[in-house]
Amino acid sequence: MALRSTAGGWGSVTRTFHWGMLVLLLGIVSVGYYMTTLPLGPVKLKIYALHKSIGLTLLVLAILRALWRLSEQRPALPVMPIWQVRVAHSAHLLLYGLLLLMPLSGWLYNSASGFPLQWFHVLNLPALARADPHLKVLARSVHEIGAVALIGVVALHALVALKHHFIDNDVTLRRMLPWRGDRF
Amino acid sequence: MALAFVATLAVAAPVYPVVAARSSLAFSGTQQGERFNGVFRAFDARIQYAPDDLAGSHFDVTIPLKSLDSKNSERDAALATADWFDFTHFPNATFRTVAMHMTATGVVADADVTIKGRTRRIAFPFTWKGAASGATLDARVTLDRLDYGLGTGDWADDAMIGRKVEVTVRLVLGPVVPGEVPVAKSTLKSVGQPKPKR
Repeated sequence: MALRSTAGGWGSVTRTFHWGMLVLLLGIVSVGYYMTTLPLGPVKLKIYALHKSIGLTLLVLAILRALWRLSEQRPALPVMPIWQVRVAHSAHLLLYGLLLLMPLSGWLYNSASGFPLQWFHVLNLPALARADPHLKVLARSVHEIGAVALIGVVALHALVALKHHFIDNDVTLRRMLPWRGDRF
Repeated sequence: MALAFVATLAVAAPVYPVVAARSSLAFSGTQQGERFNGVFRAFDARIQYAPDDLAGSHFDVTIPLKSLDSKNSERDAALATADWFDFTHFPNATFRTVAMHMTATGVVADADVTIKGRTRRIAFPFTWKGAASGATLDARVTLDRLDYGLGTGDWADDAMIGRKVEVTVRLVLGPVVPGEVPVAKSTLKSVGQPKPKR
């Protein structure tokens, strides 16, 4: 498998981004829902810190992934109706948008709340805004609605991939699988 | 007899009224490696001081803890709980000097600081600048929060919330009005009123 994508299939870098970020997303969403149920205490702060650290990691990965995606060719889509092509492009654009929006709105929410931001006890990051109760409410809403939207779009993305695989019998899913080579 | 009485009054260290709007009691701690700042919006301070009468000088300060504001409503709520200041059982902190003495670097007061029912004697070096219009008192001390049972149990972890808390005092004191009974206590700002919504 080549590092870069070709007309025939996705390269290993893209596949690593794809599945690595999925694992991190499943983790951060689980941690995100769990942490809000915890009683106030140091454990809660540590779980929040973990959520923020994963979120910052995902922000960097999303930027790198977008740059990588722009720098390489993408495999040809399987033959399908033009409306499906348009929906696919829009959905993928939305995914990239949400992958950037989620960490940024979380960072803003954290800043507006007046909390510190530390990446895995290694690096402290500056606040995006001063503590502000109105901005805090707004950023929180964006982060929460964005989370639901991201989960929804990812679920749709997965369902459509399964549809391509099992109903259309095309290579859409197979060529993204981590263990498959370039031959289908 | 009358003369002796007047003479006694003349040498007693004067009590200064505190100019609330220009005075502050601030603290600075660390959370997850990042510094945060807070203030106590209210405190009662009785400042009796004369540079040439350290034995007759006393500072007596009471701080209503619910006036704490660390610019973060969640953190403020946590600090109110029994793990931290325990506002319900210990609504006030106090600071009382027991002695003052001159050192090579300036005047240092020995003071009893009581927070959450625990009293520790600290050295309190301060800078006093007297002027015709009053005086200013500046001081900075570092306290160990665990000395006062602040952040007990799992909260004790220094990496999460730093143990060292820097307290910065700035008092602007008005002129002592001669012939009048000095204001013994000046309530600063709005102790009983709710904090402005943030």
